[in-house]
Amino acid sequence: MFVALVLAAYRAAGPRCSPWPQRLPFLGGGEADTHAWQRYHVRFYTMTLVFIAFEMEMMFMYPWAVVFVEEGLKALAEMGMFLAILSLGILYGWREGIFRWQ
Amino acid sequence: MLVVAGEQRPSDRIALARIHAQLFEPRATVWWRADRPSGFDFGTGAPESVSDAAAFISAQATQSEGEAILLDDGPPNPWEGVGPYGQGGNGMMGGTPYGRPMAMTTDDLRDGLALDAYSATFGPYLTQWPPGLIMETTLQGDVIQSVRIVEAPLAQDLLAATPHLELARLLRLLELPALADRLVRAALADPARAAAGLARAVRWTGLLAAIPSALARDESGGDVRSRTAGRLDALSAGRPADPAAPGDLAAMLIGLEWHEAALVLASFSIDELRGAIASPAVRMAKGAA
Repeated sequence: MFVALVLAAYRAAGPRCSPWPQRLPFLGGGEADTHAWQRYHVRFYTMTLVFIAFEMEMMFMYPWAVVFVEEGLKALAEMGMFLAILSLGILYGWREGIFRWQ
Repeated sequence: MLVVAGEQRPSDRIALARIHAQLFEPRATVWWRADRPSGFDFGTGAPESVSDAAAFISAQATQSEGEAILLDDGPPNPWEGVGPYGQGGNGMMGGTPYGRPMAMTTDDLRDGLALDAYSATFGPYLTQWPPGLIMETTLQGDVIQSVRIVEAPLAQDLLAATPHLELARLLRLLELPALADRLVRAALADPARAAAGLARAVRWTGLLAAIPSALARDESGGDVRSRTAGRLDALSAGRPADPAAPGDLAAMLIGLEWHEAALVLASFSIDELRGAIASPAVRMAKGAA
């Protein structure tokens, strides 16, 4: 029902289809020779994965800070092992050249 | 609003019509120091002087005229697909929707990764580029694979050759429009007067550090950074910048990313670019090579 309402409102109020010359990509007056559907090389892909790994690590560390107050040294050692494994992964990635912007 | 400034080449009529069509409704055109090409019998003419024209254009901006577009409201190429949304057709890549072939893969110049190559004609009205320059470019992602220069930039008046305006073009590329406006105002006031304070302000933005090092060496061994530094010296001393020779401009741009290519083009003066793209015969030879 909701979807139907949204679609009906879009049909009623939404813009009409643009004329053909307006649907071209803006190339400063030029024209494209090939179609715009294409694959694009995302060069920051590996760096994004490393960033997400660090993000997840931080998400573990906030609740860990609470546990650390109760458990003390034992929790510190556990977190140390976790960070050591992550750091090994980063060092391995560095050796493989994932931080090089290609 | 479309402001057409200066004389236009007759060959750029279609490109101008395309720019006009790509503005959204209600669109209006102002002609400043420009003869209207045939078929463009709409819009209003702005006064000759710069300040009057600026006031006229800002006054026009509030009026909505609603000009009709000049180009046909039909697909640029005939429909050659099978399905209703461009899918289908022959071949692995799904045919040629609207007459344009799908992008095919080639090897990347830097890492050999096979990805789609996109060919298009850029210009003559591309904001990031010298006005009037038309290049047929094949891009793979943001890396330029091949370049053929179709038309040289349009000739500019003497004011455009001052270090002020040459630096202003570069500053606009690097998202520093306020400083660029200050440079333009200084050039309009007196282009021959030394502007050491302005040159210092530009240096303090870290402009030179923001330009990649050893980018696009010219025949005399200078790169984009050294040419920009030369412009800054010329600005603070109140003299024209030292000339540079781009050499083979098309070869210089191959392998660069899009933003680097824009910086390279902005680091040369319009006259230097026009000199490098001398005759149609040379352009064709460069395109073939």
